Amino acid sequence: MANITHRGNPVHTIGELPTVGSRAPDFRLTDANLKDVSLADFKGKKKLLNIFPSIDTPTCALSTRKFNEHAAKHPDVAIIMVSADLPFAQQHFCNVENTHNVRTLSMMRDRNFAKDYGVLLLDGLYRGITARAIVVIDENDRVVHTELVPEIRQEPNYEAALAALK
Amino acid sequence: MADVLFKGTPAHTSGDLPKVGSKAPDFKLTASDLSDVTLANFKGKKKLLSIAHSLDTGTCADATKRFNDFAKNRPDVVVLVVTADLPFAQARFCTGENLKNVVTLSMMRDRHFAKDYGVLLTDSPIAGLTARSTLVLDENDKVLYTQLGPEITAEPDYDKAFAALK
Repeated sequence: MANITHRGNPVHTIGELPTVGSRAPDFRLTDANLKDVSLADFKGKKKLLNIFPSIDTPTCALSTRKFNEHAAKHPDVAIIMVSADLPFAQQHFCNVENTHNVRTLSMMRDRNFAKDYGVLLLDGLYRGITARAIVVIDENDRVVHTELVPEIRQEPNYEAALAALK
Repeated sequence: MADVLFKGTPAHTSGDLPKVGSKAPDFKLTASDLSDVTLANFKGKKKLLSIAHSLDTGTCADATKRFNDFAKNRPDVVVLVVTADLPFAQARFCTGENLKNVVTLSMMRDRHFAKDYGVLLTDSPIAGLTARSTLVLDENDKVLYTQLGPEITAEPDYDKAFAALK
């Protein structure tokens, strides 16, 4: 369990992010075509998971645009937005904002990803969806960088995340 | 368990809709201000529950507009639109379409509502979301009418739902 804040109020996550150096937990999430996707679908690639509460909120939208710029220049890495938004909302955002260089994956079927990655919020207004976090995973599915953003409304540390992808 | 179709392909629900004549199961769902609401929040009103898989899809959007028009002239009725969309997506939809006469409620925190009302889809590309259904409850929460849409992508039977509210 980790302590963070949302609009300054203390909130808690269900667990801890995967430890740097450990093998990233496998997952099953749903893509824009309503197909289930697992970690193995990105085999051999470096992966950046940008985990956030909802693409329909300002900070999440901002980070998606920012990572999309990077993804456009680095097609060799998988930059993946993970949220509890339905794939329809994720698609709506990517179409309106033209952010088609990032992948969006949804927790529409369950919250197992949120539990396994320790980011499910247990209390506060966002209970049931996730904290804001970054997980960078190398070609062999080893975790090389993580950040749990201490205040949900703040942006993640882009420089540190992108440096870990190098 | 009930059989429906999603784009012509068989899909199955977790259970059956509440029976006509029974008392509607209580629920806890999340409003657009992220507060939890229960059936008791709408005490004394007739209720039309429009359950759909996502407001970001065509038929659900059409049905919500139709129910919004109906609710304009019926202050004795509250229209509750229930989906697994996050409240942010529901609010974006209602603001964009200028729908002020329906109350959107989200299953963002769990799928208990979907299970208790027997509408959780256990398979198909939208497994984890809900089958299209309409329920009418009287002022005392007694179920007056239900429809489980045989084809999820088809519109509900508006006339029968409205007739049950006479």
